Amino acid sequence: MSRTRFRLAGATIALMLAAVAGCSGGEGVDVDGNDAAGAGGVLNAAIGGEPDQLDPHKTSAYYSFQVLENVFDTLVEPDANLEMKPSLATEWTTSDDQLTWTFTLREGVKFSDGSPLTAEDVVYSYNRIIDEKLNNAYKFGTVKSIEASDPKTVVVTLNAPTPNLLANLGGFKGVAIVQKSNVESGEITTKPVGSGPFAVENYSSGDSIRLVRNDNYWGEKPKLDGVRFTFVSDPTVALQNLRGGEVHWTDNLPPQQVPALLDGDDPTVQSVPSTDYWYLSLNQARKPYDDVNVRRAIAFALDREAITKAAKFGLATVNQAAIPQNSAFYYEYAPYSHDVNQARQLLDQAGVSGLSMDLMVTSEYPETVTAAQVIASQLEAVGITVKIRTLDFAQWLDEQGAGHFDSFMLGWLGNIDPDEFYYAQHHSDGTFNFHKYANPNVDRLLDQARTETDQAARKQQYDQVAKQIVDDASYIYLYNPDVAQGWSKQVSGYEVRTDRAIRFRDVALAR
Amino acid sequence: MARFVIRRLLQSAVVLLGVTLVVFLLLQLVPGDPVRVALGTRFDPQTYEALRARAGLDQPLVVQYFDYLRRALTGDLGVSFRSGRPVTAIVLERLPATLSLAVTAVVFAMLIAFPLGIVSAIRSGSLVDHAARVFSQFGVSVPDFWMGIMGILLFSGVLGWLPPSGYVALTEDPGRWASHVALPAATVGLVTASILTRFIRSSMLEVLSEDYVRTAEAKGLRTRVVVLRHVLRNALIPVVTVVAVQLASLLGGVIVIEVLFAWPGIGRLTYDAVAARDYPVLQGAVLLVAALFLLVNLLVDILYARLDPRITVK
Repeated sequence: MSRTRFRLAGATIALMLAAVAGCSGGEGVDVDGNDAAGAGGVLNAAIGGEPDQLDPHKTSAYYSFQVLENVFDTLVEPDANLEMKPSLATEWTTSDDQLTWTFTLREGVKFSDGSPLTAEDVVYSYNRIIDEKLNNAYKFGTVKSIEASDPKTVVVTLNAPTPNLLANLGGFKGVAIVQKSNVESGEITTKPVGSGPFAVENYSSGDSIRLVRNDNYWGEKPKLDGVRFTFVSDPTVALQNLRGGEVHWTDNLPPQQVPALLDGDDPTVQSVPSTDYWYLSLNQARKPYDDVNVRRAIAFALDREAITKAAKFGLATVNQAAIPQNSAFYYEYAPYSHDVNQARQLLDQAGVSGLSMDLMVTSEYPETVTAAQVIASQLEAVGITVKIRTLDFAQWLDEQGAGHFDSFMLGWLGNIDPDEFYYAQHHSDGTFNFHKYANPNVDRLLDQARTETDQAARKQQYDQVAKQIVDDASYIYLYNPDVAQGWSKQVSGYEVRTDRAIRFRDVALAR
Repeated sequence: MARFVIRRLLQSAVVLLGVTLVVFLLLQLVPGDPVRVALGTRFDPQTYEALRARAGLDQPLVVQYFDYLRRALTGDLGVSFRSGRPVTAIVLERLPATLSLAVTAVVFAMLIAFPLGIVSAIRSGSLVDHAARVFSQFGVSVPDFWMGIMGILLFSGVLGWLPPSGYVALTEDPGRWASHVALPAATVGLVTASILTRFIRSSMLEVLSEDYVRTAEAKGLRTRVVVLRHVLRNALIPVVTVVAVQLASLLGGVIVIEVLFAWPGIGRLTYDAVAARDYPVLQGAVLLVAALFLLVNLLVDILYARLDPRITVK
């Protein structure tokens, strides 16, 4: 009997080990790149989370776009200063009435599988977004039709002049040109085929995504053999990976350590102000927030420097308007000095005292949770009691959509054109105007600027919009965060971009 | 025995059915609309309706549930709400990582807990015993993620012996698999070892006070023989259950540890699925975990009957 017992135990363990061995799939390929034979090597990049899927038209996750930036192309693309430059389209003309845009495609562009990329693919890609009402359909709001007049020419016909059409068609890879057969086979979610500098070789769920150099790429051939993205959600662990050499590049750095890292030279850490902005929104459908004096009082009560220090460890630039300094549409306007007396006076004028305000923040963006505590203590000083409500993002979005809030803090990410900064948020018909702001003057200016083709006039209109929104405290703008990314000494040719696009096509790896 | 196994299998099937119903209903209670999460902040009503219809979420709940069951019976657990990939494939490809972590952690835990538990029971009240009790108190009370971070800072930061995170399949490169699994398995294993050590110690102490042990000692058997043949084997019976339960719960994925160490297992999948309200994936993951748990329990029941003839299979 006693012998049987132990044989059984042994058998169980053996069974388990067999199960483990049998179940581990995966190919016997060295994915580290440290000892790869090629000239360029494989760059290991650690991003903070896993893409939900790799279909550029269907995902809304930044993690996906970190990868896809290197896989897909758009007709035009933003350069370092966010001006639209030729990419798949080499040139374009606009009709006199501004309603017809004709794009000429680059000669000899191929998808990474070798098949040609023609005007038909552009038409297919855009119509897919529009017809299936995919996430970025709103970028085609003024588009009437898209046609391929010949394999190299795409004609976009509009309902109304759209000066920011280029930003809509090339601002990011969510409007990339995809391959019809790749979409129809369903492979696009895990093995998308694009025309960009790299191609997806392997997606190992939960673990990594491997890209290889696309030898059919139309531009200058990338120096790297490939890129391997891993998903490391803990910033301390990501930094440890970077220091230990397992990872060559990461954007998931512990914020409290970034100031010290910026001073060091190994790893190299750089930061630039981003086009993102974070703001406080007050629900104007609820009393007393419909009163502009109450909103302005809150704007005066806030000390933005203190909020930024607490929420971002100083890794942000305070801004009382939305558009950051490095944009051509920046409008310098900062009427709200931190002034407790002014705030109290405005509240008195509004006849408000003993106000208790609900402030909705989300654990999805921890900086809102931290900032909320600072905001609460600052508003306490003017007699407003803040009740912080921390929700997970799904629930937060529900509450926002239903208008169940006094106030919330959140950010808008990846904006390029001023239309993206203002229209949907502050137009009385705007899809994201959850706080029910309505100012006919702003509506008129936003509609006008949307179709204004004279750039100087357009800038002036948006300046007026910015001033009015700030004066009305439609949003109470807080800061533009910085983008901080770090890479090891082996990496050269990488630049941190203000739109957070991660481009590895010019990067080289010393070995 | 065969009848026993068949009956237990049928019982397990009923439990699984219950699991699907409970999970399905619980998900309805969770606040947060999956479609809204998938769309993010850039939301417009038309896109919303289109996506909702594509995911089948515009159907009545009863229809959704029975649809799910019908397909689940054929092994089709639906498609992920976010990636559009089949759930069955998604959960199965995460299994090896979790299995290898769980088994390694339990083996690691046993290697520590058995010697420690036995010695501390035999030398009850000694310095070793006190040390063992401090150890197990420590392991149970210190949060595992903190231990994990300390482990990373020490073994990969200061000493540079182990990679801080990541995963390599065992079949791909056993050496690199071992170096990657070491830290997470040790972290999880320490907690399990603490629980096991206490359990083995008390189980041993109980058996040590039995009459037959005194008899064995009285007939002049060496302590070594008494401990190994008479005490340990009898003390082992409840221990087997605890080990199995520990293993089964680790198979459910150690969420915090998998997330911390970027380990592509069931735990991390569950974590991501909850955040994204990816119901099909969440349901699939829970179903798989429940199935594994039931399977381990079934094996233990059978093993139990073999270990102790007094327990008869009815």
